[in-house]
Amino acid sequence: MFSKRARMWLGLIGALSLLSLASSCGPKPADDSGGGGDKNGKAYVSKGDEGSITGKVSYTGAAPEAKKIDTSADPACTSKSPNLMTEDWAVKDGKLANTYVYIKSGTLADGSKVGDWTFETPSTPATLDQNGCHYKPHVLGVMVNQPITITNSDPTTHNIHFTPKNNPDWNQSQPNGAASMTHKLAVAEVLVPVKCNQHPWMKSYVGVTKHPFFAVTGEDGSFTIKGVPPGKYTVVAWHEGGANGTEKTMEVTVAAKAPATADFSFGATALGQPSSLQMLPAIEFPMPMQMKH
Amino acid sequence: MSKGVHRFALLVACATFFLIIAGANVTSHDAGLATSDWPRSNGTFFPKMVGNLFWEHGHRIVATAVGVLTIGLAVYLQVRERRPWVKRLGWIALSGVVAQGLLGGLTVKLNLPLAVSAAHATLAQLFFLITVSLAVFTSRNWVTPDSSISENGAGVSLRTLCVVALAVIFTQLVLGATLRHSATWDQDLPKGLLLAHVGGAIAVTLILGATVVTVWSRHRTEKYLARPAAIAATLLLVQLLLGLAAYITRAASPYDPQPLPLMVSVTVAHVACGALVFATTIVLTLRVFRVLRVDRQEYVLAPA
Repeated sequence: MFSKRARMWLGLIGALSLLSLASSCGPKPADDSGGGGDKNGKAYVSKGDEGSITGKVSYTGAAPEAKKIDTSADPACTSKSPNLMTEDWAVKDGKLANTYVYIKSGTLADGSKVGDWTFETPSTPATLDQNGCHYKPHVLGVMVNQPITITNSDPTTHNIHFTPKNNPDWNQSQPNGAASMTHKLAVAEVLVPVKCNQHPWMKSYVGVTKHPFFAVTGEDGSFTIKGVPPGKYTVVAWHEGGANGTEKTMEVTVAAKAPATADFSFGATALGQPSSLQMLPAIEFPMPMQMKH
Repeated sequence: MSKGVHRFALLVACATFFLIIAGANVTSHDAGLATSDWPRSNGTFFPKMVGNLFWEHGHRIVATAVGVLTIGLAVYLQVRERRPWVKRLGWIALSGVVAQGLLGGLTVKLNLPLAVSAAHATLAQLFFLITVSLAVFTSRNWVTPDSSISENGAGVSLRTLCVVALAVIFTQLVLGATLRHSATWDQDLPKGLLLAHVGGAIAVTLILGATVVTVWSRHRTEKYLARPAAIAATLLLVQLLLGLAAYITRAASPYDPQPLPLMVSVTVAHVACGALVFATTIVLTLRVFRVLRVDRQEYVLAPA
């Protein structure tokens, strides 16, 4: 059907296409955050001597100002949230909200690792609502396989899109008035970004751990992690910022039936420092960089 | 040769260019998954075109129009075209647009895996190559060229230069497509791919620059070749500036919330201009192959 020359051209084009496909395939990074551990570990039974970790997360320096979001692409969003602002740096009186704090690893008083134990998954679902074309809450913590109920309180269609690294990608459209949906994340992952491709300014983050030792800071920057067995732990405070967030780490010792304190500080000077992940653009040009808001 | 066929082929090529722009808008707005279903959007073929669904469903509408036009062109070619290989190219174009539509649907259903999305963007450029080629093959100048241009065998072959330039540009387009689909606007671009794309820009500049200089130095008076060469050089310059501007606008608003009209429009313009550089080089290459006659020097052994 084709001449020799035509076959050669088609072959060349096919080879280049295959090359492009091959170049775009790559391994996915592993993530052992969220407590690690053996899924077949022993079930943890409360001994009644558990303590807690409390603290405040503060923001030092001038807090980045929230930006007004242009929601005019969807009139339903504009009418419901005429002054929608960015929520990534929710700072009030120097205290930082929406920071996810969790035990990353640690050793219990009896020498066992926190990851050696399994903890009962709550049957009560966590709720993620789409309301005013933004997510409530902005940051959410759940245990693995804990149901997350997703509701749409807006007079428009949203799509809820979990974009994890270790769990399967999940994207579902949810029209206004539709019944709530339920989603579960089976693998620990800190944190899973959630977005709406329909309204691309909408973002939320879900922390998934194998244990219940996590909390999200409130408006006053405070948090409490309850029911922590006595032991020595690595506690991480994670805040969105940069492409993959910024985290601060602290060693915390929890005594029996006593509260331990862990205060964290983020800020202009902290931005991009002890982060586990790159925040700068791939190539540095001699130009003024705008700070993240 | 039919003037109508040529005009229709031109229309399909222009529509394909518009489709590439529509697709680039989908990627830059991160609208590819604005609806989780395909081919319908939110359960209907006529959804409310609000938010990013405007871009995603708009892309599907333009793609459907291009598909219908391609069917028309393929049929038109069977009726009015005499050259069998051009008729076959019409069917190949139709196969390409069908495959492209299926790839588009597949990437939505699979939640935009990089390999499928990059393949979708790559096939878009290949389909564009076919439609531009069809427009050239059906033109009057192709069927009855005004002149045959002679090129002596000395120096680098212009044909070789053109083919290499075309291959390098295509590779660069694939790299760019893969780069764009590797990270949404609020994620860091993968450094390796970014550097490869910058390296590709240098390679394209060198090889296309050499091709244009060769055309100008050997065939400056032949408008049939000199004109596409001049257009390619101009577009290349614009494209380099747009590439730099796309990077700067992205770096200047690294994680700001969408909509980001400046970053999106500059990036989409960069994609569109890349397609135009490709199209112009296709035209130049085909014309070079059509009219350039290589005179081979004959060597005679001197008598002993």
